[in-house]
Amino acid sequence: MAEEEHGVDEEAPDPDPTPELKPFFSRAGGKIFIIWLAMTAVGVLIGAYAPHHLLPTMLSTQGTKVWETMVLFTILAAPVAAFVYAVGLYSLVGWKARGFGKSDEAPPDGPPLRGDAAMTGLWLGISAVLVIVLLVWGIGEFTAEQTSHPDTLQVNVTGQQWLWTFSYPGAGNVETRSLVLPINRPVQFNVTSVDVTHGFWPAALGVQVDANPNTVTVIQATPDKLGGFTVRCSQLCGLYHSLMYASGAVVTPQRFAAWLHSQGASVAMAAQAAHVRASTT
Amino acid sequence: MTVIEAPPILLEDTPLSTAAGGLYRRQNALTGLIAGIVLGFIGWFVSHKLLQGSNFGSDMVVTVTMVGWVIGFNIGVGTFNAPIRWMLGHDQSYEDELYAAGVTQGKARYWKFCTDHKVVGTQYLVLVMVMFGIGGTLAMMMRTQLITPHSSFLSPNSYNAIVSVHGMLMIIATIIMVTGPFTNFIVPIMIGAKDMAFPRLNAMSFWVVVSAVPPLLATFFLGGVDAGWTTYAPLSVQAPAAMDAFSICMIVFVVSVTVSGINTLVTVFTMRAKGMTLGRLPIFTWASVVGATLSIYAMPALLITFTAMISDRVTGTSIFVAAEGGTGWLWENSFWIFGHPEVYIILIPPVGAMMEVASTFARKPLFGYKVTIAGFTAVAALSLMVWAHHMFTTGWAPDLAGPFMVTTELISIPTGIIFLCLIGTIWRGSIWTRLPMYFVYLFLWNFIIGGVTGIYLSDVPADNFFHGDMFVTAHFHYTLLGGAMIAAVAGLCYWFPKISGRMLNERIGKTAFWIIAIAIQITYFGQFWEGFEGMPRRVAYYDPIFLHANQVTSIGGYLLMTGFLVLLYCIINAWRHGKPAGANPWHAKSLEWKVPTPVPMANFLVDPVVTSDPYGYGEPEPDGVDVEFPDPDRELVPTLSSDRPVSGGDVL
Repeated sequence: MAEEEHGVDEEAPDPDPTPELKPFFSRAGGKIFIIWLAMTAVGVLIGAYAPHHLLPTMLSTQGTKVWETMVLFTILAAPVAAFVYAVGLYSLVGWKARGFGKSDEAPPDGPPLRGDAAMTGLWLGISAVLVIVLLVWGIGEFTAEQTSHPDTLQVNVTGQQWLWTFSYPGAGNVETRSLVLPINRPVQFNVTSVDVTHGFWPAALGVQVDANPNTVTVIQATPDKLGGFTVRCSQLCGLYHSLMYASGAVVTPQRFAAWLHSQGASVAMAAQAAHVRASTT
Repeated sequence: MTVIEAPPILLEDTPLSTAAGGLYRRQNALTGLIAGIVLGFIGWFVSHKLLQGSNFGSDMVVTVTMVGWVIGFNIGVGTFNAPIRWMLGHDQSYEDELYAAGVTQGKARYWKFCTDHKVVGTQYLVLVMVMFGIGGTLAMMMRTQLITPHSSFLSPNSYNAIVSVHGMLMIIATIIMVTGPFTNFIVPIMIGAKDMAFPRLNAMSFWVVVSAVPPLLATFFLGGVDAGWTTYAPLSVQAPAAMDAFSICMIVFVVSVTVSGINTLVTVFTMRAKGMTLGRLPIFTWASVVGATLSIYAMPALLITFTAMISDRVTGTSIFVAAEGGTGWLWENSFWIFGHPEVYIILIPPVGAMMEVASTFARKPLFGYKVTIAGFTAVAALSLMVWAHHMFTTGWAPDLAGPFMVTTELISIPTGIIFLCLIGTIWRGSIWTRLPMYFVYLFLWNFIIGGVTGIYLSDVPADNFFHGDMFVTAHFHYTLLGGAMIAAVAGLCYWFPKISGRMLNERIGKTAFWIIAIAIQITYFGQFWEGFEGMPRRVAYYDPIFLHANQVTSIGGYLLMTGFLVLLYCIINAWRHGKPAGANPWHAKSLEWKVPTPVPMANFLVDPVVTSDPYGYGEPEPDGVDVEFPDPDRELVPTLSSDRPVSGGDVL
């Protein structure tokens, strides 16, 4: 990017010392177009690369949507941002009043362009279309998240200062300190708190919801990859907020049943909750 | 016909009797401090004796003490002099008013209750810089804590207390950073007025903010607010007595902002010079009007919320306590009903200031003047309907997530329009690269990043990952520090010669610029990185997997502080030893550049008549705003207000 800027610098003609009314687009348009293309490419590359490599490994379909959204939105925003940057960068070389940087004399006035209805309309149209695309995507994703499934695993989550408790109603309400989930099965978290507001945030699942006292809030996720993750608290909840976390894992149904059993559920109950035959535990 | 050849008489030359000013002569910030401490102490003593052993004892004591301090300080500094005398049946004399307006022109008036809008603006400027200094120091303490995952530099309680005060102090400072100094100092001159419409309320709005800051800082000594600047209930209801002082600070601050907002509106709508039609108002005036309107709408929500908070804490009303029938979501809603418009109360005035800078330094008329005003208005209107995007993950009203996502994303359309106008103003301009213009380009760079990252957060499924995460922190620091505050610095560099009468040293200023510009990118790149990895906000300790991102952020943070210190040095240095500035160093066309520097007491020696808007760059005729002298026989002696008779023949 820096090289291109430099290249433009060398080719840039001296600004017309006597500005006169010219058509809105001048010869600068071509150079701005080139910078714009290059910066759009950079933006698209960042969009394609950064979210994928910076986000934690997402273990659920909802988590995958997070980075898909990041990629799409970055690619959509890139041309707009690149246009602003291209005009800004070009103006610093092509339209700079040379020799006036340290002068107390003002440079000659620029052309009196007080507005351009066509350009404003075009800009308005483009931004409206982009916003509609964002909204269609966002609302689509959001509605998809809300569909419930009959086979859903229920997990009750309770926050308190400063630890998480999980219980599995399907396995005799066995209470645990860590969150283990079977793969490829929708899970519904019923979240509440016994004291102040906490934020239940299993980051790698790409969902979160606050734990409010005297209220149960609900959020769903479908784990689709095996792996470990951390449940953190995302809402400042007092002295040891930063130490309020629990470990979590997405495992196979067999290991899920075995884990439930190790936490105190009977073999039969664990097997039933995990949808596996009892002998496999 | 006789032509009066005598030079105009300046108000500053008015001889005052030694009795003029009355009580004002004896009052200043120090008497305010003493009276505040005395009344605060009386409040503490009485409530302490009366309420020993009661359930809400310490909360009531802190509340009464802080209220005592605020009232005492304002009595001591002179806020209530005029209303009390008015109630006693004798208004202040014209001489008293002249004294209160600082007609003696001494340095002492900067420490006093002074009704001159230029003095109030300068006082605000210094106050804002002090607040930024304190808030920045708190930020550096947090960054020092976060260099290592389990640092023992701060205890968790101190860390939480610092998080809360850094947040709220910076919010207060950014709300007043442009409306305080520049709307007060510049707007009346811009529109051709001799002062604000309500000079006493103007001075009051300043001293009330001054009295609101000590309670906020006192929270450190009252156990600390451990609930963040948003102070979500029920945690905040259970918080130490510091929370009472915090609430008093907010309530008092609302009074100041409301008073100042009403003052701005009345000034702009009633005090404009002849010919200064609404269509010729400089864009910064429009931005101030939109910001003031928005604050008059949004601030009462904060007032009600914090009053209810005090009521919960002091009398046990349980409005926000779910276990006793209230709901924390009520707090969250009413807080954000203030909280989101507040972002635009902060943002719109600096953007307006920056567009003045862009027009002057591109030597071009503002591109799309009416479109810009429409953009500001649309942003302000939409901002009233987006608050619940702060609540996507709270579990409150999941069915409303969709509608709030729509309104939030719609805001990007008028914001984009404002950007188009900025870009259009620069387009094919004759870019004069002096210091103020540097900050315009930095705003463009930063705000694009802040805006694009805001789009991710407005999307409900993506926000389900990013909410409560350092990504949010990075996003709003890019918009509020990298955007609004940098735009305010552009405005400061632009109007500093008018305010101080001296030029900034551009070599030092540009050094500060480059340090700040680079440090912002490093610091908030680090925070985005933390956010992507999933580090929660407001944590004193963190998982070592976030170590590298935090170290980058801390190094960037120190660099940023260095940059701002260099900028501070640049300002102080210029104020003391700067090159004297002429009346119009930027060769700009709006009215504030037509008056002499330093600006005389009543701004204009004769009433200006405006014949066009101030953006006539490159246009042959008429050449911008022009001051015509309607009739040399008339109006040679300016008065504080036109309908008030001038008392005493010696003045004439």
